[in-house]
Parts: sequence; structure tokens; C-alpha cells
Amino acid sequence: MNSLVVAFVVIAALFVIASGIWVAAALIAVTSRRRAARK
Amino acid sequence: MDTVLSVGIVFAYGALLTLVAVRARAAREFEEFSLARRALPLALVFGSLAATFVGPVFTIGFVGRGFRSGFLFLGIGLAYAIQNIVVGLLIAPRLRSLKNCHTLGDAIGQKYDRKCHVVAGIISVGLCAGFAAVMAKAGGDVLHDFFGLPHWSSVFIVVAVTALYTTFGGLRASVITDAFQFTAFAILLPLALLFVMVFSGHTSDGQGVAAAFAQQASAATAHGLSSTSTLEIVGLVAAFLLGETLIPPYANRALASATTQVSRNGFILAGVFSAFWFMVMISLGIAARSIIPADTGEDLVLLNLVKSTMPASGYALLLVVLVSVVMSSLDSLLNAGAVAFTEDIIKPFVELANGAALNIGRAATIAIALIAAAGAVAVDSIIDGLLICYAIWAPAILPALMIGLWIKRPRPLAGILSMGVGSMVAVTLWVIFKFIIDWKAETGISRIIIPALAAALFAYLVGHWLDAWLRSESR
Repeated sequence: MNSLVVAFVVIAALFVIASGIWVAAALIAVTSRRRAARK
Repeated sequence: MDTVLSVGIVFAYGALLTLVAVRARAAREFEEFSLARRALPLALVFGSLAATFVGPVFTIGFVGRGFRSGFLFLGIGLAYAIQNIVVGLLIAPRLRSLKNCHTLGDAIGQKYDRKCHVVAGIISVGLCAGFAAVMAKAGGDVLHDFFGLPHWSSVFIVVAVTALYTTFGGLRASVITDAFQFTAFAILLPLALLFVMVFSGHTSDGQGVAAAFAQQASAATAHGLSSTSTLEIVGLVAAFLLGETLIPPYANRALASATTQVSRNGFILAGVFSAFWFMVMISLGIAARSIIPADTGEDLVLLNLVKSTMPASGYALLLVVLVSVVMSSLDSLLNAGAVAFTEDIIKPFVELANGAALNIGRAATIAIALIAAAGAVAVDSIIDGLLICYAIWAPAILPALMIGLWIKRPRPLAGILSMGVGSMVAVTLWVIFKFIIDWKAETGISRIIIPALAAALFAYLVGHWLDAWLRSESR
């Protein structure tokens, strides 16, 4: 029971971190595309 | 060494935020200021929605609730996740498919008439200013705690920095800085949880924090269930289910999405994200039970947990995270309020050229920021302030908006009666309970949402029937 709860909590934390990385990648893509378009 | 690192972290964050805000550029047209040219991709819609709803209550507040009442608040938070998913499936695509629509007021104006448009605009601007005042107070609290500055000057700094980039860049700057701020807290707070679970050593009885977790979770949840009445739980579920549904900043993101599909998926993803987010916040609170004293005040749990488990630079990172959390919500509210003022209150009466509309939008951003800064003094508690806004927003707008989007011929009298009665009943109940009966229960105020919503729905039905009858009489 205990390890199951802890595993679930760890998965939730990793999901949130992955979301952050995904949005960061999109942010970099958006800003670099604009820079390329300006050139 | 640690002080140098802490100062370095705060400066690096400030420099990065400035860089991102400057790259977002100043808006040149009102269309860009209000809806970012309706071209936002999925990742930005999702990131910005999540950054807007994750405010101080969904961080500091939920960690404190997890500490005190375990998984009880996870259940209540799930109502919020369901709301986002339902809005994504049923409402957001319909809203996005409306033509020439910049705000919720526009949507209501298109479905009913001009009077309803203006009333919805006044409610939107008022609520945005109210929500912004709560955020300004929270931002002031954070800076005051970290730097010991007087509270008014802490509020002023947070509001001034946020207003600066929102005034020039409009929705685009708000969304792009939101994505940056979202990245900061979506990575750092879950990392703090993993750090606490793995590295924070042993509790007083020799167990590891992770080993004691399930035991603490069931003890806290049992305490939460026994100390909260059923009626209060029902009120809180209703407040989290409906209170923040499609408030102006969310509606603006639904309208600014590149396509109806992006709009739908953005809300569904944000809903799924919120469920995992609540899980992480509640778990931080439960893990803190093995580490910090049991009599710690709810709002101080996260702060004390970080202080007692991490080096001083971890504390500086927490400052960065909390400032991000507050600013990403505040900028969205300032922009949404300014757009609603221009589009729903000024434009129905005056024909505005593009440049004039942009200038009015910018001036309104500054005016709402000033109102929020002044109003921050009047807010006693963050969660109470938000629950009051929820309790007014849901009855004032939701029946008219939802029914209007779904039925074929909505009647203007029904829309105006529902908005008027809903907001008046909510405000009256709040004044009675707060100032006359002097209700002290912290989250008890959430209960007024239920009678106010019932009154708004009843008024809608009466208005619908009356309008139909008046029309048949005049024929």
C-alpha cells in the first residue's frame, strides 16, 4: 500500500515536470521561429 | 556562498523574465492586444491556462490543506479538473467558432442583445479587478515575507512590474511570459516534492518521509473529514466546479486559440494537468507533516518545509516560483479586464478606430492595476477573497452564457434577469453573512454560491417565459 501511494505521487510529479519541459520547448520554438522569420 | 547563489538566482530570473517580455514585443493593433491575432498554438494555450489558474491558492493554499486535511482537498480539487475537461469538450469550441468575438461579453451580446453585452462587460471588469486585488495581496505577502519590505510597497512592486509588460504587449506578452513562468513552477515544485521524499532523511520516530507517507495521509484525511461538515464540502465542490468556469482570462484563451480543436484540447489538457498538480501539492503538504511542527499555520507550511529541508538557495528558488505563480495569474486578469472594458463597455456606444481602441485598452490595464493595488489592502485572506469572487461570478454569468450558447433562440429578458438577479443575490448574501451575521468560518462563504445560482437559474426561466409571453401579446 505504502509503496503504491509513493509510486503514484512520483508519477504525478514526473508528469507535471514533463508538462513544464513541453511548454518550455514550445516557447523556445515560437521565439526562434520568429527570429528566423525576421532574418 | 549561499547568499551569492540566492542573489544570483533572483537576478537570473528577473533578467530572463525581462528578456522573454521584451521578445514578446509591443502589440500594434487591438486585435493583437486582445486576442494575439487568434493564432495561439496548443502548447501555449495549455501552458498559459495552467499558469493562470495555478495561483497562490493552488500552491500555498493546497499545500496547507494537504498538511491539515490530507486527500480531502484532492477530491475537491478534482471538481476543478472535471470542470476544465467539460468546458473543453462542450463550451470552448463553441465559443471559438463565434465570429468577431473578443470577449465573453461579445459572445453574450451576439446571443442576446446590446444591453446584455454591456451588463456582462461590467460584471467581467468588476470580477477581473476583484480577482486581481486578491493576486496583488498574495504577491505583496510573498515579497513582504522574503524581503521584509512594507506590505504596500511589496504590492506596488508586483503590480507595477506585471502591469508594465501587460500594458505594452497585451495578450501575447501575457501568454508568452505565462509559458516561461509555468515552466519555472511546473518543474521546480514537483522537484521539491521528489527532493523531500528522497533526500530529507528521517522523521522523529526513525522512519523515512516516504515510508511514513501513507500513514500520515490516512491520519490527515480522517481529521479533514471529521472536521468539515457535509454542507461545507458540497459548497466547496460547487465553488471549485463552477466558480472559475470561463472567467474572462480563460475565455480569452479559448477565443485566441488557433483553431476550435486547439481550444478544446487546451482546456482538456489543462484539466488533466490540474488533477496531477493537486496531487503534487497535497502530497507536499502530507510529506511536511513528518518534518515541520504540527501547529504550523496553513499558509506557512510550504515556506517552512522548504526552509527546513533545503539549503538557502532553495529558498531563493521558492521566491522565484511564488512570484511566477502570482504574476502569471495577475497579468492575465489585467489584460482580460482591460479588453472587456474596451470591447464591452466602450465599443457598444462609441465607434472606435484601431489605434484608439488599443490606447483605451492600455489605459484600462493601468487603471485596473491601480484599483487592484488599492483593493489589495481590503482583502483579509487570499482563499476567502477568491471564494467571494467565485460565488459572484458563477451565478452572475454562467446560466446566461451556457444556456445562450446551447439553445436556438435565447431571449434577451432571460439573459439580463439572470445576470442581474444572480449577481445581486450573491452580493447581498455575502454582505449579510460577512458584515451582519459576522460569519467567521474560513471557507464557509463558498456556500452562498448554491442559493445564488438557484436564484439566477429561476430568474432565467421566468425571463424566458415572460419574454415569449410579451412577444405573443404584442403581435
